[in-house]
This record gives sequence, structure tokens and C-alpha cells, in this order.
Amino acid sequence: MNTNPTARKNDLVVQETSDEVLVYDLKTSKAHCLNSSAAMIWRSCNGSNTVSDIVREFEKNGIGSVSEDFVWLAIDQLNENDLLENKNASRYNGHSRRHALKTIGLATAVALPVIASLMAPQQALGAISCACQADINCMGLTGCPSQMVCNVNFVCAPQPMPPIS
Amino acid sequence: MMRDTQRWNLLQRKAQQAKSVRAVEVLRSAGIEPILIKGVAAAQFYPTDKYRFSIDTDLAVSDADFDKANSLCRSPAAAGMAIDLHRALRHLDTVEWQNLFKNSRLLDFEEGNIRVLRPEDNLRVLCVHWLTDGGVYKERLWDVYYSIANRPADFDWDRFLGVVSDRRRRWLICTLGLATRYLGLDLSDTPIKDEASELPKWLTDAVDTEWADDVKPRPLEASLNDSKVLIEQVKRRFSPNPIRATIEMEGSFDARTRFFYRLGNFFMRIPSSYRRVSGTLRAR
Repeated sequence: MNTNPTARKNDLVVQETSDEVLVYDLKTSKAHCLNSSAAMIWRSCNGSNTVSDIVREFEKNGIGSVSEDFVWLAIDQLNENDLLENKNASRYNGHSRRHALKTIGLATAVALPVIASLMAPQQALGAISCACQADINCMGLTGCPSQMVCNVNFVCAPQPMPPIS
Repeated sequence: MMRDTQRWNLLQRKAQQAKSVRAVEVLRSAGIEPILIKGVAAAQFYPTDKYRFSIDTDLAVSDADFDKANSLCRSPAAAGMAIDLHRALRHLDTVEWQNLFKNSRLLDFEEGNIRVLRPEDNLRVLCVHWLTDGGVYKERLWDVYYSIANRPADFDWDRFLGVVSDRRRRWLICTLGLATRYLGLDLSDTPIKDEASELPKWLTDAVDTEWADDVKPRPLEASLNDSKVLIEQVKRRFSPNPIRATIEMEGSFDARTRFFYRLGNFFMRIPSSYRRVSGTLRAR
């Protein structure tokens, strides 16, 4: 049985951005944001790479030198968020995750792998309607017709046409 | 660095595309080619950082394919896909299905492609759908806004307005006029800029009233468990939404009164409401 970590592919929607990878799980409707380190490790989990291989990939790509604990930290989070095909029990050289986290943090200049959950922001829904009470509510609503004017209909948009029949 | 809202919108938009492709594939597996309406068909004109929320996937199929498609949508293959199946476009458009299909096009996504109406037909459907909802959903007026604001350079106004009756033409122009009035849609470079500014007062009054009302319409059969909600919904039925009534009675926006449309609509809806409520009660 293959014990090397394998990235899950099914039922996932993946959106790459310049510095992170966004993942939406169609089965659980959960959304995750992987920073560049976590994303790099996730991509390297092809089922044939061992943890040592992934460490070497980091160096090969010129990202920096990392330890196996560093990779395990990412694998742990990938496991927790159901982003791997196979569950891999973490192995921090006999230490706890907390202890490993401290030593990794001190020993590497590379950003620690982080997988954050994405929640539906209130603003995402608010921006759709562009509803407002005052001009100040329109500031920052980049998708609305106006970011300065809360018009007579309480919409962040220019004032409407005056006459109606 | 992206903001959470941008991340969320970007991802949800892509997830919605993936879900829609999957829903379409269910019907394609049986040789049925559906046309997707609303959903990603409307979202295609939204800016990339804006997410158009929707809870289901609206697929229209020809009259001949409907029964087969309906069975598929109720099969385990479609479990959890929330497909809302339409028998052609019925009241949403009067252009023949064959004509709409012949003019339709494929939208390409990473996960596959989806057939949608051509932009002019798509916009007609979005307008009439918004009106059929009684103009209740302010946020859905953005569908109309972006369909015009981000329309293709070869948008054919004659295809949009010239293939339906004069009454429907007026419905469409007024919907664009409402998007101008309430959302600031710029129609100055369009051939309908003058007509769209002539909005009947009853129409804007109806929109203002609906948007100020906290009680939104919901199916009666879904209100049976809560007497307060049920009473509110019954009250709404006794005073039919004038926009919806006009559309469902194929009425004129310029008629002198809404009274007859609303009266006719009230009686027209009784049998279907009765069927749905009694069906729900029997199933309990």
C-alpha cells in the first residue's frame, strides 16, 4: 500500500492566484486558502514523492532549506482539511506538533505552511445589493456604480434620471 | 494580497461553474443537450471579482426531451445537484425553442462547456424572469445591469427587441430603464435611451414598495409549518404583485389600470396553489 502522501483531486475546485491556492471542496462545501508553502507541498504530494523528496524539491526550486518537520506540518493540515487521498500520521521526530512548530519557526526563513478556512464574508453579500444609508457606506464597494454617492434610492450609484411619466 | 471577499468570490464563481458543468453532463450522458439559463449564463457578464449567488442550476430542455430529462434529474446520478428543469422557456420567452437553440452558444470553462443562449436572448430571459418575480429581488437587477454594461460589441438590438411582441418589447425596455434608475446603468449609447426613461409610475411605485417590504414571497406549501408566515403569504396573495400579475396575464405596462390584471392573476393562481398545498398536505 502506498504510504506517500497523495493530493486529493476529485470533487475539488482549485483556483491558483499569484501567491496562494484557493480550494473549494464540492463534497463538504468548505473553502480553503493555502499559502505558497502549503500549496507547494500539496502539489508535490503525487503519491511517489516521499517526505524527504519534498524537502529536496524545496531546495531544488530555490525556495529555501526546510526540514522534514516543516513538510509534516503541512501534511498534518492537509490531512485535517481532507485534501489528501490517504491519511498520514504525523511524525515530528518523536515530538509534539507544538514543539515542532517552535523549532521549525526558529530554524527556517521560509514562510510556515498555513491552510486557512475561507468563510463567506458579510461584505460579499452586502456588495451584491450595494445598499446604503449614507455616502460613507459606499466607500470600498468597488463593484458598485459609485463608491462615493449613496443616491436617493439608497443605492451606491449616481443619482437617477429625474423625470418619470 | 487578495482580500477575503475577493478570494471568496473568485472561488465561488469557479465552484458554480464546476457544479453547472456536472449538472449539464448528467443530461448529456443521455443524449440531451440542455440550455442553461440564469446562473452562470447571467454571471458570464459580471466582473470577475463579483460572485452571483445562486442555489440551483436552471436547465431548459426541449418539450420532447422533458420527460426523459426529468427522470434523470430525479435519479441518483443527479443527487445533490439542485437542478431546476424547465420545459423549454415557456412564459420566459416567446421565440421558438428551435430558433433559440440554433442561436445558442457554448461557454467554455476549465471543467467543460455549457450551452447558453446568445447574449440578446439571454438578456430577454433575464428581464422577463426578473419581472415574473415581481421585481422583488433588487440584487437580481444586476443581471440586467451587467448584461448591458458588459455586452459584446456586436450586440444586436434588433435580435433583443425585434423578435417579440410590442408588449414584451416594452417590458424589456422598462426593465433596462429600472436598472438605469436604480443602479445607474448607462444607456446613453443605446437606441433605447429615450424609451427607457419613460417608466410608468405604477412600475416604480411597485418596485419601491416591494424593496421596502420585509416579507418576501415564498411558496404557500413551504409556509404551512408557521402560521404567522402562512398568514403573511396568504395576505400577499390577496393583493397580487402588479408587476407579476401584468407579466403572467401577458398585459401591457401602459394600460390605465392594474386592477384587471391583478384580479385575473388572483383567480388564475388559485388552482395551482390549491394543487401544491393539497399535495404537500397529502404527502404528510
